[in-house]
Amino acid sequence: MMKVLNLLALIFLTLAIFPSFLIAQQAKNQILIRNATVMTAARGTLENTDILIENGKIARIGRNLRAESGAKIIDATGKYVTPGIVDCHSHTMIDAVNEFSYSVTSMTNIRDVLNPTEIAIYRALAGGVTTALLLHGSANAIGGQSVTVKFKYGKPVEEFIIKDAPPGIKFALGENPKRSNFPPLPGQTPRYPRTRMGVMEVIRDAFLRARDYKRAWDDYRAGKTKVPPRIDLELEPLVEVLEGKRLVHAHGYRSDEHLNLMLLAEEFGFRVATLQHALEAYKIAPEIARHGAGASIFVDNWSFKIESYDAIPYNAAILWKNGVVVSINSDSDERMRRLNLDAAKVMKYGGVPEEEALKMITLNPAKQLGIDKRVGSIEIGKDADLVIWSGHPFSVYSRVETTMIEGEIYFDRQQDLAKRVQLEKERQELEKLDVNKAPASGGTPPRIPTEYRKDHHDDADEMPQTIFQGGDNR
Amino acid sequence: MINRILSTLTILFACYALAVSQTRNPDTDVTSQQIFLGKGGTFAITNARIVTVSSGVIEKGTVLIENGKIAAVGSNISIPSKAQVIDASGLSVYPGLIDSATNMGLSEIPLGANGTVDVAEIGENNANAKAVIAINPHSSHINVARVNGITTVLSMPTGGLIAGQAAVINLWGSTQASMAITPTFALVVNFPRITTFAGPGQQQIDFNEAIRRRNQQLENLKKLFKDAENYARAKEAALKDKSLPMPKTDVKLEAMIPYVRGERPIIFTAERERDIRAVAKFVEENKLKGIILGGQEAWKAADVLVKNNIPVIYTNIYRLPVLDDHPYDYLFEAPAKMQQRGVKFSIATGDGGSMVRDLPYHAGIAAAFGLPKEEALKAVTLYPAQILGIADKYGSIEVGKVANLVVADGDILEPRTNIKYLFINGRLMPLTSRHTELYEKFKDRKLEN
Amino acid sequence: MRKIYLLLLVLLLFSWAKVPAQDTGSIAITNARIVTVSGRTIENGTVVIRNGLIEAVGENVKAPADAFVIDGKDLTVYPGFFDTNTSLGLAAAPRPTPAPSPGVEVLIQQASQQQQLQPSSSKYPQGLRPELNVIEQIRPGENQFETQRNNGITTVVTVLRDGIFNGQSAVINLAGDSVAKMTVRSPFAQHITFRTLSGGIYPSSLLGTFSAIRQMFLDAKRLKDWETLYESNPLGLQRPEKDKSLEALFPILEGKLPVVFYANTEREIIRALDLAKELNIKAIIAGGHEAWKVADRLKAQNVPVLLSLNFPKRTTAASEEADPESLETLRFRAETLKCAGRLEKAGVKFAFQSGGIQNYSEIWANIGKAIENGLSKDAAIRALTLTAAEILGISDRLGSIDKGKIANLVVSKGDILAKERTITHVIIDGKLFEIKQERPQPTAGQLAQQRTEVPRQTAQNISGTWSIVIEAPGQTVPGTLTLTQEGDSLTGSFQTALTGSTPIKSGRVTVEGSQTNSFSFSLDVTLGEATFEVTVTGKATGNQISGTIQTPQGAFSFSGTRNP
Repeated sequence: MMKVLNLLALIFLTLAIFPSFLIAQQAKNQILIRNATVMTAARGTLENTDILIENGKIARIGRNLRAESGAKIIDATGKYVTPGIVDCHSHTMIDAVNEFSYSVTSMTNIRDVLNPTEIAIYRALAGGVTTALLLHGSANAIGGQSVTVKFKYGKPVEEFIIKDAPPGIKFALGENPKRSNFPPLPGQTPRYPRTRMGVMEVIRDAFLRARDYKRAWDDYRAGKTKVPPRIDLELEPLVEVLEGKRLVHAHGYRSDEHLNLMLLAEEFGFRVATLQHALEAYKIAPEIARHGAGASIFVDNWSFKIESYDAIPYNAAILWKNGVVVSINSDSDERMRRLNLDAAKVMKYGGVPEEEALKMITLNPAKQLGIDKRVGSIEIGKDADLVIWSGHPFSVYSRVETTMIEGEIYFDRQQDLAKRVQLEKERQELEKLDVNKAPASGGTPPRIPTEYRKDHHDDADEMPQTIFQGGDNR
Repeated sequence: MINRILSTLTILFACYALAVSQTRNPDTDVTSQQIFLGKGGTFAITNARIVTVSSGVIEKGTVLIENGKIAAVGSNISIPSKAQVIDASGLSVYPGLIDSATNMGLSEIPLGANGTVDVAEIGENNANAKAVIAINPHSSHINVARVNGITTVLSMPTGGLIAGQAAVINLWGSTQASMAITPTFALVVNFPRITTFAGPGQQQIDFNEAIRRRNQQLENLKKLFKDAENYARAKEAALKDKSLPMPKTDVKLEAMIPYVRGERPIIFTAERERDIRAVAKFVEENKLKGIILGGQEAWKAADVLVKNNIPVIYTNIYRLPVLDDHPYDYLFEAPAKMQQRGVKFSIATGDGGSMVRDLPYHAGIAAAFGLPKEEALKAVTLYPAQILGIADKYGSIEVGKVANLVVADGDILEPRTNIKYLFINGRLMPLTSRHTELYEKFKDRKLEN
Repeated sequence: MRKIYLLLLVLLLFSWAKVPAQDTGSIAITNARIVTVSGRTIENGTVVIRNGLIEAVGENVKAPADAFVIDGKDLTVYPGFFDTNTSLGLAAAPRPTPAPSPGVEVLIQQASQQQQLQPSSSKYPQGLRPELNVIEQIRPGENQFETQRNNGITTVVTVLRDGIFNGQSAVINLAGDSVAKMTVRSPFAQHITFRTLSGGIYPSSLLGTFSAIRQMFLDAKRLKDWETLYESNPLGLQRPEKDKSLEALFPILEGKLPVVFYANTEREIIRALDLAKELNIKAIIAGGHEAWKVADRLKAQNVPVLLSLNFPKRTTAASEEADPESLETLRFRAETLKCAGRLEKAGVKFAFQSGGIQNYSEIWANIGKAIENGLSKDAAIRALTLTAAEILGISDRLGSIDKGKIANLVVSKGDILAKERTITHVIIDGKLFEIKQERPQPTAGQLAQQRTEVPRQTAQNISGTWSIVIEAPGQTVPGTLTLTQEGDSLTGSFQTALTGSTPIKSGRVTVEGSQTNSFSFSLDVTLGEATFEVTVTGKATGNQISGTIQTPQGAFSFSGTRNP
C-alpha cells in the first residue's frame, strides 16, 4: 500500500515538475532488444549487447541499456541481430516486369505498377529482407525507371517507397535485349537490335538524343526558341542520368559488355551505379574499381544460359579484393528468402571475412542504392531495420525470429505460428457465406491446381528455371 | 527367362567394367589419370571426427581406405606402413553426399544451347531412353558438384509420360561405364496430373479439359503397363512353348518389363496430395515398387505411402509455396512432417546439374524447420542410398562400404564449411573444377594499361 | 406460316414484360407517396408533368383538367433511377465492365480491335484515341432498353469499351426516337481503362500503359499552350499541328471534363488517384469494389465512385480436383457487400451502376444486400438518383422530383426497396411507360430458389433466353443464347460482345432423359474480316445449360442458366 502511494506521489511529482519531459518520453516509442550478439555490418560483432530503438531509429547500442517503462523489451539472449537485408535486384511486388515493345522504355516507371499485397513480400520478410531495389526487366537495352522500397507489408503502397533514395533506371546488355532466347512470335517483326553491336548503339543513340533534348530545353530557357519543347518522358530520365541524378543499374553477364558500357558512360560523363548480375565481373575487376561502379551479383548461380557459363562463386571475393563494392542479390522471390546463406558462401569461396560478407547483403547494397545513411548497418541514428535470428545468420540451421522496419515488427515467427489457427477459422467462416458458396449445379470451372509457383525474375516468366520446373503451368 | 539372363548379363558386365576400373594398381597409375580418377592407394585419415551416419560420431578416430573400400573405422586402428596418412585434426569425415534427383550430365546449358540438352526425349513412352547413355562424363557440372562433397547422384530423364530410365552414378570417371553404379536403376514416370500446360507456345487449357486429359493420360499409362505385362507374358510363353509365336520385338515394352513386374523401382513425379494418393493407388493396384519424386504434400498422404512402402525423394526446399495461403515455411517443414509421420524420404536438389552442389543446404534448411540435424544429414546420405538401392555400399562410413568420403573443416551442411579432401571409390580426388580454374586464371589480374 | 408461328411464340414469350408506351401531353400522379429525394418525402401528394418536365409537385397540387391521371393510391413515386456505367444503345452488345487486371483479354481485345478498325486521321494507334465519342455509335429507338426500364432505370451513362482511352461517354435517357432526343449530356466524361494494346505495339504492358497516358496528357498540354501562343502572335513560331486526339484531352486539362477510371481493387484505385493528382484532372472511379479501403483518399481528393452492383460471387463449380479458393478471394467477396455502407459512413460520394451484371434485375437484389450490409435506404435511393445526377453534372435537370426538372419518374407499388418490388409506371422525358406485371419480379433469394427448383414442364423444351459464360483462355466471356425449340428442330441466335448476334443453323435437339435434352447447332462467326464456322453441342437440364463450342482456335466450354 505504501509502495503504491509512493509510486503515485512520484508520478504526481514527475507530472508536476516535468510534464513536458514526460510527454517527450511517451513519444519516444522505445523498443529494447536485450543481450544479443549484434553483427553491426560496420563496427564488428558485439557480444551480449543491447539495442535501444526510439521512434524507429537506433538510439543506443551498448551493454545494460535502460529503457523507459512501457517500452517493448525483446529478450534476444542467444540470438543474433543483423541489419535488415537489402536486395539490390528484385522484381517482386510488381504487376508488370517488362515493356517489350521498344528497345528503349525509359518512359516506364516501376512506381506505377506496385502491388503491396504480394505474398512474396511477406515471405521475403521471413527471410530477413527489409529493403529492395525493384527493377524493370531486362528485355530492353534501356528499360524502365526503378524504385527502392522497404517491405512495409500491410501498409499503403506510398509508405513502401524510400522517398530520399536516389531514382534509378534499368539497362540491359546481351542475350535479353538481343531477344536471342525469345524469338518473335509468328507475324511479329523482330526488334532491333539483334547483336551486341546494336545494343550498345541503341544506348548511345538514346544518350545522343537525350543530349539534344537537353540542349533544346536550354535553348528555350535561354530565350532562343519560343515554343517550349515537348516534355519527353523517354528522355527525361536519361538527362537525369547525364546529370548524375539517376542511378544506372545495368544488367549484363559478359565482362566485355559491361566494360563497354562503362566506357560509354565515361564518354557521356556519368558513372554506372551497379553492374547487375555481372557474373564475369571478376575478369575486369580492376577496370570496375577504376570506373567506380558497384557489382550486384548472384553469389553462385551459373550455367543457366550461355552468358552465365563463365560465372564463378569466387566472383565476389575477387571484386572485393579489388576494392569494388559488391552486393549479393536474388532476382527471385524464392532466392530472396535465403540471401543470408548466399552471403555465407562468399566466405567459403575466396575467403571473404565474415563482416565483409555480411556487408554484401546489407551495407554494400545500401551504398549502391545511395541509402546507406539510413539503412544497411546497425549504427546510432540509422533506421531500426533489424533482423533477429535464432542463431548465426550464416548458419543453415538458423531461422529469422523477428524482422522489423523502423522499429515496427513486420514478421515474427511466433506470431506467424499463432496466426495460422486464426486464419483457418476465418476461412471456415468465410466459406459459409452465400457469396462464397459454389453454385448448386453448373458453374464455371475452377482454377487448375498448380505444382510450382511462378517466380518474378528478369526475364519475366519466360525462362525455365530448372528442368524439373520447365513446362509447368507457365 | 532369356530376358532375365540378359539383364543379369548386363548387370554383370557393368560390374565387371566397374571392377576393372577399381582393381587397377593404384601405385602404378600415371599422373594424368589422376585428373580423371584421382590418386589411388591406401589412405589413413587420422585424428578425425568421424560422422559415420549409421552408428553415431567417433570424436577422434581413423578411417582406413584400402582397395577403394573402407577397410577400418575406429579410434584404435593400426595403420599399415604403406598407407598415406592424412592428419585430419580438427576436421570431420562424412560419407559422400548423394543427390537423389538431378539431370546431372544431361543438360549443360538449358537456355539458348539446345545442343547441350539431352533431358527430354520426344514421345509419350520413352521407357527405352536411358540417362546413362547421354550423361556427359565431362560436364563441368560434375566437378563443381563433387568439390562440395557430392559424390553420387541419380541422373534422370524427364520427357513424356514415361520419361526413361534413371542412372545412379558416382561423380567420378571419364566414361559412363566407370561412373555408373546402377546404370538403369529406375523408370521415371511423369504421373498424370491436372495441368494447364499444353505444350510450348500452346494456349493454356481449361479445367475440364485438363481433367479430361489427365484422365486420358492415366488411361494411357495403365494401358502401357498392361501392354508391357502382356508382352512379357507372351514372350515367356513363347519361350516355354515352341508352338506359340514369339511376339514382335518392341523396344519400349521390352524396357518396361522389370519395372511393371515390380523387380525394379518406378519413380513417379507427384507434388500435391491428390496426385500422391493417386500414385499410391496405382502402385498398390499394379504391385509396383514406387518412389515419389517431388513430394510437396507427401506428409499429408503419409498413411498410404507408409502402407505401400513408397519412399519420397523430396525436391522442394528451393521452391516457393504454391498457394498464397500456404505458410511461408510450408515447403521447408515438409521433411520434418514426413519424418514425424514415418515416411521414408531423402532430400534432393531436383536440379539440372549446375546447382547440385547446394545439396547440403537443402538438407540444412529442412533442419532449421524441425527436422533433427542427424536426420537431415541422413536425408542426403544413408536415406538416398537406401532409396536408390545402394545402401549396402554407400551412404555411411562402415567397413566394407565403398570409400566415398568427404573431409571437411566443419559441419558439412553449413555453407561456410570447406571441403578439404574428397575420396570417390577410395581415390583422392583433386579439388579442382571449372570454377577453381577460372579463379586461378583471373584472381590476380591487374589493369592492362 | 412457320415464321408467323415463330413470331407469335416470341411475342408470347416476352408478353409479360411488354411495355405499351404512352406519349401524352400532361400526366398527373395523384394521391401518391412522393420521394422527392431533394426534400422531404410527401406522404400524399401529386406530381404534374407537362412538356416533358415536372410542372408541379406537392401536397396541395391539383391535377390539371387535361391531364392523364394516374391514381397514386398505394403507389410511391421516385425520381428516375440512373445506371451510371453501361454500353447501352450500341450496335453490338458490349461486354461487361472490362476486367481491371492487366494481361487478360488479349484475345478478345485483338478481335474487337479488328472488328472496330476504323479509318482515322489520328496518329495514335487504336486504343489511344480519346476523341472517340460514343454518341456517334448509338442507335436510336427505345425498344432496346426494355429490360432497363422495367427495372426503373430511366437514365444511363453509356460508353465504348475498347482500348486504354475508351473515348467520351454520354448521358442518355432510355426513351426517345432519335439520338438527339435521348441525349441528356454529351460528352459526359473521358473513360480510361488500365490495359495494354495488343500485337506487340506500345504500350504492351501495364508499365507502358501509364507512361503512354502520361505522355499524351503532357503533349496535349503543350499543344494547348502552343495554340494559345500561336493565336496571340504567330510570328517566329511554327504552326502547331492539328491533333484531334490531343485536342480531345483539352477539356480534361481545363477541368471541364472528368475522367472515369475503371478500377475495382485497392491498388488500381490508388493508381487512378495518383495519376489524377499528378495530371491535375478531375477523376471518377468506376467499379470500386474495394473503394472502402481507400475511402480517406477518395474523400480527400473529392473523387466520387460509380459503384458497381455486379458484386463478385463464386461462380466456379465445386470440385475435389481444385485447390481451395484463396482467403483474399473469399474476403473480397464478403467485403464488397459492405462497400456501399462504408462509403456512406466515410462521406464518399457514390452512385450505383450495373457493372455489366448478367441478370439485370439482380441490381435490385444486390442493392438489398448492400442495405443488409450497412447501407441506409436513403443513401441507396440517393445513389440511384440525386447523387448520380450530381456526379454526372446534371443535378439541375435530373435526380430529384422538383419543379422544372426533367420528368423522369418511377412509380412502384409500395417501397421500391421492399423485397416484393413492383414497378407499375416509368416516365422518361414525360413519356409514360406502363409496366405490366404478370408476375412479381423475384428477389435474389427467390432467384436462387428458382435455379434449383427446376420447373418440370419445361425440361423437355429448351426454348428461352440463356445467359451463358464461355471459358476462353484466361478469360470468361458472357453471352446470350436465344433458342426456340419446335419438336426436334432448334432455331434462334447466339450473341457475345465479340461476335454480335448471329443466327444459328442446323439446330437439333435430342431427348436424353426425362429432364435432359442434348442439342447441337452451328453458326458462322465473323471476327474482323474472317468468318468461320463454329459448332456448338451441349446439354440442357431444366434451367441449366452447358456444352462445348468447337472453333478453329480450339474447343471452349460454356455453361449458363435460363433467364427467368
